[in-house]
Amino acid sequence: MAGFYEAITAYPAGTSTVSRYAKTAARHGFDGLVVRTRDAAYDPVAIGDRYGIDIVDGIEVDAENPESASGSIGNFREACTLLLVRGGTNALNRYAVEQDRVDVLTRPMAGDGDFNHVLARAAETHGVRVEFDFGPVLREAGGQRVQALRGLRKLRELVEQYDTPYVVSGTPRSHFGLRAPRELIALGEQIGFSAAGIETGLAEWGRLAARNRERTDDSFVAPGVTRGTHDEAE
Amino acid sequence: MKHLPKYIRPRWRYLAVEIESTPDAEIDRGAFQRELWYAAGNLLGDPGSADADLTVYSFAFADGIGETIVRVRRGETDPARAALACVDTIDGEPVGLFVRGISGTVRACEERYLGHRTGNSEQRHVAFADADRPAYARGEAVEVSMPTGFVSATELDFE
Repeated sequence: MAGFYEAITAYPAGTSTVSRYAKTAARHGFDGLVVRTRDAAYDPVAIGDRYGIDIVDGIEVDAENPESASGSIGNFREACTLLLVRGGTNALNRYAVEQDRVDVLTRPMAGDGDFNHVLARAAETHGVRVEFDFGPVLREAGGQRVQALRGLRKLRELVEQYDTPYVVSGTPRSHFGLRAPRELIALGEQIGFSAAGIETGLAEWGRLAARNRERTDDSFVAPGVTRGTHDEAE
Repeated sequence: MKHLPKYIRPRWRYLAVEIESTPDAEIDRGAFQRELWYAAGNLLGDPGSADADLTVYSFAFADGIGETIVRVRRGETDPARAALACVDTIDGEPVGLFVRGISGTVRACEERYLGHRTGNSEQRHVAFADADRPAYARGEAVEVSMPTGFVSATELDFE
């Protein structure tokens, strides 16, 4: 089983630095963190050495509309390992799931956003992961939480029906908001997910990062084909 | 009332829970118990909350770090974990919670999982975000006091 990853909002967008997240994540049993914040300052090697956490540099594009998202995707695709697009409107959701360059569509059900069978199929075709955002379930109460749960259920039913790839995150905004994998799995089971489903979603971040790192490696030519020295002995 | 014979008493599990919050947070047992009941009531509903029967036993919290034991009915530990995960603030202070382990007795729980962390923090100044700022340090963890509130960092951020 691949290791569990969490995708975090770090300082200056959040209130904890990446290294502090890593310290907490190591204690909670995570294997890696995906940093969503573009202007966060951190040293992945030093953090990895100290806390044993794999830090993945990601960028979460937060755009008003598909046109400006398109510009950001073009600008940042080369600059990061994982490219995330924040959904939340129907136009953005639709745009993000049809882009091969996008790795993850985050919080598609937030705000006015909605999801349907067309988007689920498109996401599957283009390999875009949709995110199950547990943040509102962990931190909101009352009506907002009910809405978030309703959104999660609809998304889950579509994802199961159309085999759409997905990721799971608690979307912490500070290291206090970080919850251990076992807690997230227990929470998922309470709200109708399967334990295996949550494990897959938490590990998917790591699989995605490994895939993208392999692809951006200098020796990579095509899937299964790499450039290297030919070994005569074989 | 006369206590139940041993074979019919409810069986319990004890969760060792680690609590982390800001350096100036003041959290007591009552506040934590209240938030825990709210979280369980909201997530599990009244029946689920009654089944889990979450009760805070020993509670210690100082200088932004604490540990506690939560008693749960045997077989309800997963719902209890889920409810604990949903406690995000206590008296308006953000808290991080982490279940360190589960035992069948209070004593085993204390001996195996508790008493490892101290709340000794020191005040000093650190260079962060282009200025010299007051901070609270506890081991490698450093809470930097900024105009907007605390920013949590570690020693790695000042090297």
